[in-house]
Amino acid sequence: MKQPSVIEEREAKPEVKLEAKLETPSVIHQRKAKKLSIADILLSPAAKAVTGLALMLAIWESVVRIFDMPRYLLVGPLEAFAELAERPMFYLEHSWITIQEALAGFALGAALGIICGAILFYIPFVRHFLYPTLIAIDTIPKVALAPLFIVWFGFGFESKAFVSMAIAFFPLVINTFDGLSSVPSELRELAKINKASRFMQMTKIEFIYALPNLFTGMKISISMAVGGAVVGEFIAGSSGLGHVVLLANSQVNLASMFAAFMVLASISLLLFLFIDRLGKKLLPWRDAGK
Amino acid sequence: MSSSAVIEVKDVGMTYKTRDGRSHKALEGCNFDVAPGEFVSVVGQSGSGKTTLLRIISGLINNTSGEVLLKGKNVAQALRELAMVFQAPVLLPWRNNLDNVLLPMEFRKAVTPEVRAYAQELLDIAGLGDQATKFSYELSGGMQQRVAICRALVSRPDILLMDEPFGALDAMTRDTMNFELQRIWHETKQSVLFVTHSIPEAIWLADRVIVVGDRPGRIVADIKIDIPRLRAREHRYSKEFTAYERQIEALIGTPGSIS
Repeated sequence: MKQPSVIEEREAKPEVKLEAKLETPSVIHQRKAKKLSIADILLSPAAKAVTGLALMLAIWESVVRIFDMPRYLLVGPLEAFAELAERPMFYLEHSWITIQEALAGFALGAALGIICGAILFYIPFVRHFLYPTLIAIDTIPKVALAPLFIVWFGFGFESKAFVSMAIAFFPLVINTFDGLSSVPSELRELAKINKASRFMQMTKIEFIYALPNLFTGMKISISMAVGGAVVGEFIAGSSGLGHVVLLANSQVNLASMFAAFMVLASISLLLFLFIDRLGKKLLPWRDAGK
Repeated sequence: MSSSAVIEVKDVGMTYKTRDGRSHKALEGCNFDVAPGEFVSVVGQSGSGKTTLLRIISGLINNTSGEVLLKGKNVAQALRELAMVFQAPVLLPWRNNLDNVLLPMEFRKAVTPEVRAYAQELLDIAGLGDQATKFSYELSGGMQQRVAICRALVSRPDILLMDEPFGALDAMTRDTMNFELQRIWHETKQSVLFVTHSIPEAIWLADRVIVVGDRPGRIVADIKIDIPRLRAREHRYSKEFTAYERQIEALIGTPGSIS
């Protein structure tokens, strides 16, 4: 299934132009929009991804059955699905809590990360003094920060959101900084020669230029933010999917544990895909011409 | 030097401090001027300091001695109306071609319907009139560089500075671009300072060729090119052209490129 980008839609419109008269663009998108055949659908990236997933689940189920694994060591995906079907509201409620924590942490971490990345880039003084320190802080495992956040923010929603934030923060610092650094020097000189204000240079050139990097950072951050929320729940939780995993662990209920894993993986994947699609929608120029 | 000159370069020198504290002389005692509407090429070997000279004139870097006057005014005080075309087109990929051309005017907060019309007119002159709403990635390298030239011209600069603008293009596209540039220059009557390391390109385009020698960078000759305008391909193979070519090759001290 081809993702129809804005560019292709533009191309697909019937335009009666004498393209041949112009220089041949060294470009893409010569493909005409055509109807998808069954073969196209079967060979599409989405179909391949689904097939891969199904194959993996099938192997997992076979291993469990062939080797007759004891239920306290491993359960098959079918059993995990059955568990999900049996108590859908239970998983939904806990998922919702984890999603809220992760989204709050991600939003906060991303915003702070972008601001920090920009400050580090634009103020050399701050960069020279703080970049090494920041990198050093980044090497502290965020899991180790969780108990500290509980001391600071208590056992509620906030401490989990903050663990999530601490993890989501750094990819955006680095990617914002890299994105702003990748602006060609000629564009800065162009702004300088035209006496553009600093603000204009930032809003008309630099931040837009950095957007693809920001989206790369957000794609990394969003799934890490989910992980951060779960870690928070491990340490101080009476709700959320992290709590569900711990609970299942204490009851040696592997069906429930794997059900929680599946839900977690699905949440991360969906959030990741959402950001990926948003990026493609907002930045059609990013992939164009490649 | 006539005071009507658009640009006067007076005894300009440039000395860099290297990392180990020694000083490196990049340019020394450069003198020349550019008259309104004149096309001047600057030719020299790579590393001879010709780009440094251009960057001093553009105000991107400061010379360590001498002065550059723009329309008789000191660089520091003068509101310099100049524009630059770089080796790479560096168009903004999220803007269509017309909006890319308008960028310098947006920086000046001076986009009016007249300016928009002028931007479109420039695209027309550059042979890209029907590409205004297309994006840079839909254009060939040569077309992108033509958009970049329009972007430089949109602010009606006193002088257009071009830093090896066709250096990244293949030889055939480069020839085409030289014809296009001559035509655009002829229609806009723009003063141009054109830096290149191709001797034939420098001669074919220019009213005058300034030859820069190296170590340290200095002007070794200022040669008036007496070949009538508008020039055609045949001029490239004329006796005078070859004579200029030999003269400049001898001055630079190495044979020029074949293309």
